[in-house]
Amino acid sequence: MNERQRFTRKIVYACVIAALLLPLSWLSQPETTESKGGMLAQMRAANQLSQAQLGEIDPASETIKLATLGMRGVAANVLWTKANNYKKTEDWVGYSAALEQIAKLQPNVVSVWIFLGWNLTHNVSVEFDDFHDRYYWVIRGINYRQEGTKYNRDSPRLLSDIGWTIAQKLGRADEKVQFRRLFREDDDFNGSRPLAQRDNWLVGREWLMKAEQVAARGVAVRGERPVLFHSHPVMCLVNYAEDLEEEGTFGEVAKNAWRKAAASWAELSNRDLPTLSNVFVRLGDKEIYDERSKKAQEELDRLATADLKEKFKAEKLASLTTAERDAYLAPADRRTTQQNELLYAVNDKMTIGHIDLAERVPGENRAAALKAAEEATFADMMSNLINIERDVVYYHYWMLRCQIEPEDSTLEARKLIFEADRAFTAAQLVKASELYDQGMKKWREVLDAYPALLKDASTTDPLVDSINHYRSVLHQLDEKFPKPFVLQDVLEADATFHGLPLPEGEQGSEAPPSGDAAKASP
Amino acid sequence: MVHETDAILFADWIWPALLFFLEAAALLGLLALIGGFLVAAFRYGPMAGGDTAYRMIRTGLVDFVSISPRRIAALSWLAVQESLRRRVLVGFGVFLLILLFAGWFLDSRSNDPAALYLSFVLTATTWLVLLMALFLSALSLPADIKNHTIYTIVTKPVRPGEIVLGRIIGFAVIGSILLAIMGVFSYVFVSRVLSHTHEVEVASLKKAPNDPTGAQTGRTSSVLNHRHQVNLDEKGNGSTDIVQGHYHQVTTERDGDKVRYVLSPPRDLLTARVPLYASGLRFKDRTGKGSDRGINVGNEWKYRSFIEGGSLAAATFTFDDITPERFPEELPIEMTIRVFRSYKGDIEKGILGSLVLKNPRTGRASQLITFRAKDFYIDSLPISRKLTDPAGNSIDLFADLVVDGQLDIELQCLDDSQYFGVAKPDIYLRARDASFTMNFVKSYLSIWVQMLLVTGFGVMFSTFLSGAVAMMATLATLVMGFFKQFVFDVAQGSIQGGGPIESFIRIFKQQNVTTQLEPGLTTDVVKAGDQVFMWFMSHVTTLLPDFRHFDDVDYVAHGFDIPPDTILIQLFTALAYVAAVFAIGYFFLRTREVAR
Repeated sequence: MNERQRFTRKIVYACVIAALLLPLSWLSQPETTESKGGMLAQMRAANQLSQAQLGEIDPASETIKLATLGMRGVAANVLWTKANNYKKTEDWVGYSAALEQIAKLQPNVVSVWIFLGWNLTHNVSVEFDDFHDRYYWVIRGINYRQEGTKYNRDSPRLLSDIGWTIAQKLGRADEKVQFRRLFREDDDFNGSRPLAQRDNWLVGREWLMKAEQVAARGVAVRGERPVLFHSHPVMCLVNYAEDLEEEGTFGEVAKNAWRKAAASWAELSNRDLPTLSNVFVRLGDKEIYDERSKKAQEELDRLATADLKEKFKAEKLASLTTAERDAYLAPADRRTTQQNELLYAVNDKMTIGHIDLAERVPGENRAAALKAAEEATFADMMSNLINIERDVVYYHYWMLRCQIEPEDSTLEARKLIFEADRAFTAAQLVKASELYDQGMKKWREVLDAYPALLKDASTTDPLVDSINHYRSVLHQLDEKFPKPFVLQDVLEADATFHGLPLPEGEQGSEAPPSGDAAKASP
Repeated sequence: MVHETDAILFADWIWPALLFFLEAAALLGLLALIGGFLVAAFRYGPMAGGDTAYRMIRTGLVDFVSISPRRIAALSWLAVQESLRRRVLVGFGVFLLILLFAGWFLDSRSNDPAALYLSFVLTATTWLVLLMALFLSALSLPADIKNHTIYTIVTKPVRPGEIVLGRIIGFAVIGSILLAIMGVFSYVFVSRVLSHTHEVEVASLKKAPNDPTGAQTGRTSSVLNHRHQVNLDEKGNGSTDIVQGHYHQVTTERDGDKVRYVLSPPRDLLTARVPLYASGLRFKDRTGKGSDRGINVGNEWKYRSFIEGGSLAAATFTFDDITPERFPEELPIEMTIRVFRSYKGDIEKGILGSLVLKNPRTGRASQLITFRAKDFYIDSLPISRKLTDPAGNSIDLFADLVVDGQLDIELQCLDDSQYFGVAKPDIYLRARDASFTMNFVKSYLSIWVQMLLVTGFGVMFSTFLSGAVAMMATLATLVMGFFKQFVFDVAQGSIQGGGPIESFIRIFKQQNVTTQLEPGLTTDVVKAGDQVFMWFMSHVTTLLPDFRHFDDVDYVAHGFDIPPDTILIQLFTALAYVAAVFAIGYFFLRTREVAR
């Protein structure tokens, strides 16, 4: 190849490059005040993908991305491998440094912040024996994720994760007593926040509410059921109130905390929540739909005669196979296993739908019956949807707790048991015994007023712990455990929850004492 | 500090290493001779080929003994000038830029900033200098040959060996100067970044609980993302707790009614401990039966073994060279003990452990010396020379327990069903503290050694390859050197996924490493091909330098003195490699027309 050919070839290459650059330049024109920019700029703006829309533009991050010369993926992979190795060999300095660099390389991948932050708060922290070190790493993990919000300011998932970690990790860990204490003393994390507000549940709630605010602006909440997402800030208030009492704060402070929690639940009850069926519901509306269904069914019953129903039922029965019919008609205590297995499907076949029934109504009543049936069907569906959402967040139980906890009798019962437990720990046996007696009587009053409390282990578990302390106190005082026992139903409920038998001689054949009986015992 | 393998003494290393070097040199020399003869015989016939090979060796020996230091110095100076012309100082500019903006990329909340910053500057220096050495050494000679500027040298009375050696030395000189400047800047950078003090927050001072003497506790202000707890005695003097790997001493200055608390600069932050490690570690299981290792509590990393608390399980460290001259006052024990709790226990307290000093011959022992384990921290436990035995009788460390300089230290965990984890380097005697500055210099010496190696390989490859190919070959040597163990393991077949061909197929087919390849002719061919590759890899890898062995960053970062034996081994290894690559480079250059 001679000099001339070489020159020609270079000119051709330059022309091809220029030809390719022109459309590229046209496509990637930046957005200005006068124009919307090229197609790429417009798509970035439409999908909110430009760096300025995602969060802060960090020179360090941009430099490190640029320095990898298009090999960002490879660099990130190498760093992840290094981080895993550091973790294996317990080199926490190297590990946290690798995490910082990974985050700088992939600052807009929210799951990186969440995953690695979780690693610090939950996996690295427990490697340390001293709870001060554990707290340090928990806070490191939280700070790490907070750093992530600078780059991803509109990520409800990240904001919610920070709030959840502050609330739950500090408030639920084995070291929660120490963590909550260190958190209150942590000037570096809390800054100028007043001491009364330095509670992990309250601070966590602030972040959870920031997540809600972002979601309210229309940013999708991914990876979590909306009802759960919105219940976290509410539960923070409940847990705050619970922990206040657990740490010995009663009276007006505790009462107000419970009232705030109740108000927050009421607020959640009135919030429009999307469900998995793409229908919006309000948790508090179930009773309204139940009432609507009831009224519509009454109307339907009025329009569809009893004869019609019986006839319809007989037809359905006739359409069953012999085995199905036998299963359906057999008395419950005489059904075979096979029949019991069949029964679910048979019951389904035998159910008379509102619309089906209305369609059989003859004459001029038919239209009215169909309308009533549609109304009943819709109300039932809504009620069911609300019920599902309520079950997810344990709505009934927490509403009940928020209702009864601010009451004087409940506060008094909890206070007496708290003081009894404290006397027990301090080996003041006589005082503990007296306080337990008084506290359990108070609890009897509360449980008599709200027997539904016994349906949940969250009520019975701490009470049973205290009863066990009481049993120990009596044993040391050489006294017998009272029979009948004032909280016998608590013991029985606990045994049912945990599938354990009651201690020897404490099987209560008697009904739980109430009223006068309660006064006689323990 | 983690040492996964025992440190080797220079005296134990040098003779086997020298023998290996001579064997490898003889074998390679023989192979080169046979190869050279075959090539020459193929080109000129067997007789002429033999004559050529003979002349090549004879001339080589003559050249070797006739090497002139003056000419080498002149050629080295040329290499230095060429480096300067190639704007080698740009590398220094990049280094300065990195230092200036290091704060952007480094974790300001690290719990051991000294380790972080030292690792950073040393690693950044290493890579910059190695890359610079790579570019300079691999591109210089091919560029000279291509531009015919080599003729301005070869037309003068210089020998090919002098050209090779002159370039190696010249590039090494320029690299050394750069390293020295970088070292000074790095030292200043680290010292400045880590230097700090705090103020005692007077409002936080409270009387120490259960202490009638008037001692106080409180905290310091927050500086560089940390603060300390302060413990003061009744006179107001004391020290802080250890945070981020250091502590401060506190003194009180009084001026009338005014009290001022003064904190010292950070202690133990930039240090160079000289440890005396145990020569042996043995374990006892829960029944008191001896074993080589303790329990694995489920860790993937098997570096440490665990002993069960509240049982007869123990870890016994045997120390040598314990003399009254070395330890006249006390035994300065330092330990890093991992804690594994099998149940929560008392969270507010550390797990209780004990040390017992034992005479290795008679079994006579001191009373239990108890401590609370500080997981992941270096805990100091100075033990006085005057001790008591379990019966309460006074005993002397050297008179009763040390025999022929040997002493056993037995570690036990005292809390039931809790565990202590240790490895041999985890308990040592802090014999003395060396100068941190000297340690820093030693770490730069290890970088210098690596630079010398890269320069040697670069020049060697450039004697027979074009610039770009020589650079790639040197880079491959560097990468293989840093991953030598991995490559060797692949070559030995001890890593899942097969050899290079099989791995390539797996990557292409996105097949994981645990599934078997489908049996058949293709797989047989692939595996046979891999065997050839792996044989080749195994032998090439054996000959390449292991660059990780030249890495002393961890010593400096974790505050330990780099042992002189390690430095000597690194230096001698590097010199051996340089000698070898010089010889290879010389013969290859001789084969080039320009050097005849």
